[in-house]
Amino acid sequence: MTGTNLVAAPTSRATSAGVGAATARAAVVVIDGSTGSTGSTEGIVGMLGRLLGGRKPNAATLAMIPFLAFVGIFLVWPMAAVVVKTFTPGGRFGVSTLIRAISGPYQSAFENSLMLAGASAVIGGVLGLALAMALRGLDRPRWLRPTVDAWSSVASQLGGVPLAFAFVAALGTQGVLTKALAAVGIDVAGSGFSLSTLAGMTFVYLYFEIPLMFLVVVPAVGGLRTTWREAAELMGASPLRYWLTVGGPILAPSVLGGMLLLFINAFSAYATAYVLNSSGQLVPLAIRFVLQGNVITGEQDLGYALVTWTVALLVAGLVLMNVLQRRAARWSRA
Amino acid sequence: MSAVTPRTAAPAQTRHRGLRVVRWTFLSILGLYFLVPQLAMARFAFQNVPVVLLDASTLFSKWSVSSLLNALAQPALWDAAKTSAILAALAVVLDLALLLPLAILAEIRAPRLRPVLSALTLLPWVIPPIALVVGVAATFRPVAPWFLTSTLSLVPFYAIWAMPFTYRALDSGLRAINARTLVEAARSLGASVPMVLFRVLVPNLSASIVAASGLTAALVLGEFAFASLLLKDTLPTYLVNYQRDSPQAGMALALAVMVLTALALGAVVHMLRRRGLGMSTTGF
Amino acid sequence: MATIEMIGVRKTFGTTVALADLHLRVESGEMVCLLGPSGCGKTTALRLLAGFEQPDAGHILVDGEDVTRVSPRHRGFGMVFQDYSLFPNLTGRQNIAFGLKVRRKGALETAETVDRLLAVTRLEKHADKYPHQMSGGQRQRVALARAIATEPRLLLLDEPLSALDAQVREHLRDEIRRLQQEVGVTTVFVTHDQHEAMAVADRVAVMRDGVLEQIDPPRVLYSRPASQFVAGFVGTVNRLSAEQAVDGAWFVLGEKVEAVGDAAPVTADGAAVAADAPPKHAVVRPEQLHVNRAESGAGPVARLVALSFLGAFTRAVIEHPTEGLVTADVLGEAADGLAVGDAVAVSVRPGAGAVVLQ
Repeated sequence: MTGTNLVAAPTSRATSAGVGAATARAAVVVIDGSTGSTGSTEGIVGMLGRLLGGRKPNAATLAMIPFLAFVGIFLVWPMAAVVVKTFTPGGRFGVSTLIRAISGPYQSAFENSLMLAGASAVIGGVLGLALAMALRGLDRPRWLRPTVDAWSSVASQLGGVPLAFAFVAALGTQGVLTKALAAVGIDVAGSGFSLSTLAGMTFVYLYFEIPLMFLVVVPAVGGLRTTWREAAELMGASPLRYWLTVGGPILAPSVLGGMLLLFINAFSAYATAYVLNSSGQLVPLAIRFVLQGNVITGEQDLGYALVTWTVALLVAGLVLMNVLQRRAARWSRA
Repeated sequence: MSAVTPRTAAPAQTRHRGLRVVRWTFLSILGLYFLVPQLAMARFAFQNVPVVLLDASTLFSKWSVSSLLNALAQPALWDAAKTSAILAALAVVLDLALLLPLAILAEIRAPRLRPVLSALTLLPWVIPPIALVVGVAATFRPVAPWFLTSTLSLVPFYAIWAMPFTYRALDSGLRAINARTLVEAARSLGASVPMVLFRVLVPNLSASIVAASGLTAALVLGEFAFASLLLKDTLPTYLVNYQRDSPQAGMALALAVMVLTALALGAVVHMLRRRGLGMSTTGF
Repeated sequence: MATIEMIGVRKTFGTTVALADLHLRVESGEMVCLLGPSGCGKTTALRLLAGFEQPDAGHILVDGEDVTRVSPRHRGFGMVFQDYSLFPNLTGRQNIAFGLKVRRKGALETAETVDRLLAVTRLEKHADKYPHQMSGGQRQRVALARAIATEPRLLLLDEPLSALDAQVREHLRDEIRRLQQEVGVTTVFVTHDQHEAMAVADRVAVMRDGVLEQIDPPRVLYSRPASQFVAGFVGTVNRLSAEQAVDGAWFVLGEKVEAVGDAAPVTADGAAVAADAPPKHAVVRPEQLHVNRAESGAGPVARLVALSFLGAFTRAVIEHPTEGLVTADVLGEAADGLAVGDAVAVSVRPGAGAVVLQ
């Protein structure tokens, strides 16, 4: 059994994902646009067959059909509908909804979401990287590294309702930490800090962002060979010079990719925002607002636009991340 | 040859010591950050002392698990928990039914399928619950409203969000057992296709299947947006509502859920590590 | 080009003694190979020379100057690592120029030096490739060029060929030697491959368990091994019993042989051999033995159990009634008449050189 590092695989997975993404989307769109016409089945199967390297449809092609149908119905169709509705406000093609979605009351929602996602991505990114670096080569105590590895896998999924509760219990107005800090003389509430502010929410988001970043950069940090540093040292380079010319550039793609992942993760987080933020000035909360019909008619389309913007942002982030991951993978092969 | 002034090694050693201090301080602070909220949660849930009255003298008084017991006594909790459990189980089954044949085919016969599958299973990642729920409401409601009324309608969507790590778990497991060689060996010994599938491949994929199930369970137990916006009753939605009415009991319950989820995921991670399966739990 | 000395160097890791009182002197321009099995301390010695580890005791001198406490940054040495350790984000050219840039040589001077090195290592066509686009041999040559670009006082090579295919290895081995002689840089080369060491080094230092067993030019090492271990390490050996006649002459396999080693001085009266002296053994090389078919007849026979055609010669393994397994090399057509299972006679070839007594 080939034993590989627990998180070593992501890089190679993501590399193939980048190449396949364009072809995959093409295949999927074909299905979407051909509902109803009889001759199209042949077209789909034929296309799939060509995709899989054969002229005739074979077992692989046929096996793909239920899967593609499933993804098509439950994922692609709803999303395509949303995108279409976004671009056809009032029955005609136009981008007015898209523009309206980022102006007016929703402008601040977008700004807030971008700032929240950006802050938690950068801060979480730096701290996650610092954690990976701090644990690098640390074998004593023996239990520390595996514990952190396991904890990161767990904590990166622990966003959501219980997490929000936990922070309220700690740092809310009636939080035990708030009380403890007050006893020492630090007035948390008075200084304007509150869990519903962007700063407060960023602080909470870090709880799952830092472990996520850790998971993403650990392979890259682990891949930094000590011999590189030694070679640089022997050639007269100071530690700073090494990090500026070799270490930094090598880590950069993974670090940037990780931060992107953190960004898209934070942007679309809902549950924690729901529990903590009462003002609703975040994109996911705004979407909820629109969806629940608490708006005047005609504003429904704005919900679609908000979703389209969100998805577009996530897609851009993912694609960029993929490019960076591939770069990083290239260097690890040296 | 120019004379080199011996630069002593001592400064390097003090530098190392300084770094050690920084490193451990940082790790301690981070450790506190991750631990304190959980402790605060436990304190709120299990100690019947309001925060204003809390000080050194009352720190150890009035601790009880009654709040948790109250929470567990609610039948509505168990309904919600059962719902979530069923959703998780069905999502896992659906995913395996869809992805297992394809993963096997990709590994054994059609390697070009792999990047396609890898990319397709990454698609759910860019369409988070809060986005998809809008699309679902817009498309399913007018066309098939009966579908959305059932709680089980969540299953296909949860299956979709579980795809990234399910596929990767299966793929990783197949690579680790060298599935292609195994199947060729089995076929050369005369095994039929179902035999190969159920007697050779699936038993060896048990680790991957368990991992995928664990991660799917964690997903379902934590998914709030989609369920709440479609007005369904799952464990996370129950948690939010319950906490509104009974803060302390709700907190205790949330802590319990968090601990259980953490334990389940921890077990999955531990198992993956022991079996040497190279995959990340993020699905990347 | 400097003279390197390690005096009384000792290094322990926990409870393991990696190096015990090592004394080594490398002359200016000389190429010395540290040869030995894994764990013998050769890599530790190399890393101590580089400065990545500090010795627990002893000194390291460069041209008489004590550099034991000097950090690697300021020693002015060059090193080729086992994994080449090329910076993956820099091209071949940029890798080679790295040390020069650190020393702030002007752009023109740097470019000239780099171009010269690229020409010498025949890497001009690959200069602008990244390490992941290069073959193992190309990376190795870049690593070498990078190490000597800064005109180091000492060049250290840590098993530079172990990651390469056999064919590439031989070719590069010669290139390294050629380059080293051209540049004239004092070099210490670590390897576990005795063929490599014997082929390129001016002197080979055989190490075992942290101790330097013998340091001599290859030919001397081969024909006059100082110990059983050295003899076995630098080639195949046979350990055959040696008997001393009353007149002091030594006999192996029934033939009189020229013997060297610690038992060589013999008293003239021949009575020096004590009755309870331990039986002596002689280290005999396969090429010193002669094999031919024997008439099956009286007494126990030696039987040929294996024949391996190795191009220049054929290696025969013989099961000898008293000596156990004996390896002998047979040149050219002499092997044609032999087949596995034959009864053979093994003897020491007259004029084949001395055997070493132990």
